[in-house]
Amino acid sequence: MIFERSVLGYLFRKLAGRKQAQENQDTGAYQGANSKELNASHGTDSKQTNTNQRTGAPGQVFKAQIIARNYTLAAALLFGTQGIVALLGAIDLIIPDLPSPIPFEYGRSIHLGLAVLWPLIGTMGMVYYFVTEDLDREIFSPRLAKWQFWLVLAASLSIYASLTFRLGRGREYLEGLPLSYAGISLALGLFSYNLMRTLIKHKQRITPAAMIMTAGSVLLLMFLIPNILSVTNPIADEATKFWVVHAWEEMAFELTTSGFLASYLKNTGLAAKKDIEKWLYLEAALTVAAGLFGTGHHYYWIGFPAYWLLVGFLFSFLQLIPVALLVLMVYKGLKKRPQLGNRQKLTLALILSSMLYHVTGASLLGFIITVPWINLYMHGTYITSGHAHLALFGSLGFLVLGGSYYILSRGTQPDRKTYRRGIMAVLALNVGLLTMSTALIIAGFLQAYRARYLGMNFMEVNLQLNLYLSARAAGGAIFTSGDLLLTWQILKAWRKSKNAVS
Amino acid sequence: MRLRTFALVSLLLVAAFTGANITSWKLPYPMPEDAQEGKAVWQKHNCVSCHTLFGNGGYVGDDMTNILKRRTAEDVQHYLTNPPVMRPNREHLHPALEPGEAEFLTSYLRFVGDIPTLGWPPEPRGAKQ
Ligand code: HEM
Ligand code: HEM
Ligand SMILES: [Fe+2]
Repeated sequence: MIFERSVLGYLFRKLAGRKQAQENQDTGAYQGANSKELNASHGTDSKQTNTNQRTGAPGQVFKAQIIARNYTLAAALLFGTQGIVALLGAIDLIIPDLPSPIPFEYGRSIHLGLAVLWPLIGTMGMVYYFVTEDLDREIFSPRLAKWQFWLVLAASLSIYASLTFRLGRGREYLEGLPLSYAGISLALGLFSYNLMRTLIKHKQRITPAAMIMTAGSVLLLMFLIPNILSVTNPIADEATKFWVVHAWEEMAFELTTSGFLASYLKNTGLAAKKDIEKWLYLEAALTVAAGLFGTGHHYYWIGFPAYWLLVGFLFSFLQLIPVALLVLMVYKGLKKRPQLGNRQKLTLALILSSMLYHVTGASLLGFIITVPWINLYMHGTYITSGHAHLALFGSLGFLVLGGSYYILSRGTQPDRKTYRRGIMAVLALNVGLLTMSTALIIAGFLQAYRARYLGMNFMEVNLQLNLYLSARAAGGAIFTSGDLLLTWQILKAWRKSKNAVS
Repeated sequence: MRLRTFALVSLLLVAAFTGANITSWKLPYPMPEDAQEGKAVWQKHNCVSCHTLFGNGGYVGDDMTNILKRRTAEDVQHYLTNPPVMRPNREHLHPALEPGEAEFLTSYLRFVGDIPTLGWPPEPRGAKQ
């Protein structure tokens, strides 16, 4: 093995602890002290989670799955914070001279930075959780996973800290200082290494879901590294930014998403293994091809040659196929209408919300605005913002919240009150999101038509958007109430399940 | 499809994509030093939070890709060094630049304006004069 011989591999092994590097005799599973209690409360779920073939003990918890709780909890808390910051920003846009400690432009930077990073942190936890679940084996190095959490958290928080002091880089979405992104890249490097070593160690057991989640993680790393430093060439600067804004969201996270859903449906017993795994590599390869060259829909007007108009358009169309396959997979999984406990129901409410926006706000709306003649006029208007919220929160955010709740509530069932509050929170998030994005799309249409098509003065047009921006802020208020309510329920689930799993 | 095929296809695609990008981001002419300084000013003051370049950025202010075709450099510099109140505020001013910064910035905007953008920003079509 290449890794074994390399110096880097040696250093990593040191860091990860020698014991882990040696071939483990057992499955590496960690038997929770209270596993009986855990199993008992699992009863209402449609099927016990993985069964250990060797010991026959059901519902074992891997160390990686306990560490995943740190990641998903951090993601949920950052999401809670984002709602508040975002609402203040939206209010700043409609009330003139609003006194605020952080000016709008830095508030927006914090908001955009958060928008990319909490889904990343949550995804890391979900990948650790579902890869071990799917392989039914422990992660290569739990210790590395633990350290990697603190690294990615510290690097992410350093971005918000520096932006609060108005220290940024003035690059949309990649707002923090280079050192912060070096930290995140290092964390992604450790993450990918840990996953690859896990797959190598359990070569015979590799499942398609584990493989494509790992591939997604490696791609996250590959496309972040060129963004650690900024380049002077403004065309290259724009393009590499979209390696994160697009290639992350529409390729790498699509891979991890398919992986989770496959693993979740399979391991909860909702769908048959063969139905799930048959198409997974094909779907993943299409995601990579279409997602990569679909980046072209961001290259239309940034100084790239004209052939990208065609490439961007055609490959964006192809992006719809893997999404359709994914929907088909979930549909098959749920067709049997299984009896579900409240924990599963709340998880599914979040996952199905995600599927809804994956198809509508992300894929269909995304495809409409990809048509070059349409894009020329709507580009850089509030329509983009409408799509961005529907896709980034609607599709990815809901999914990460679903996974986070599922992971953090393991071994428990929500009581009736918590369940009702959870469902109310999901409803509020949906209503808030739809209100916000509808208002944004109308505002954006007016900008596109009046300013870009008719040629009216841009600022004059903007001054007439107050009604829609107020509706957006109102939607934002509903959204934030759902956001806080859900974060609170997730926190409760986390506290309740603490004894059950550790 | 199998694991190996998937991994290989993905790697080839990434390589092809990266190559296509690098050949596509050629500048029309080398970027003058003033313009490079100007880009740093643009980033330091976080202009992109409110304005777009090539249509990418915030939506509060207008697109700046070809602002120097609509205003003179002197006008823009004057605006930035003596910033006015931003409507609809009554007190809140547009962020201010030092005179030197404003000069660098206009060099950058001139350079950006010379990049061929396939027709961005669009010529108004429906304008009834
Ligand atoms: C989950 C999937 C998706 C996510 C998370 C997502 C996210 C985003 C975000 C954050 C932006 C804003 C970029 C900016 O501010 O410059 C954006 C823009 C855009 N997206 Fe998506 N998107 C998704 C799916 C799609 C799909 C499937 C398509 C097309 C088939 C698409 C087409 C576009 C286009 C054309 C723009 C540029 C809009 C403009 O010109 O201003 N998106 N997307
Ligand atoms: C309370 C809820 C939210 C409110 C009120 C809100 C408000 C805002 C505001 C004011 C902006 C600045 C640009 C604009 O005016 O559109 C913005 C941009 C953005 N927000 Fe949010 N936001 C909320 C939630 C979220 C969430 C949960 C996410 C993703 C996880 C998100 C992702 C984004 C993105 C990607 C942009 C950049 C859009 C673009 O440039 O195209 N937002 N948001
Ligand atoms: Fe995109």
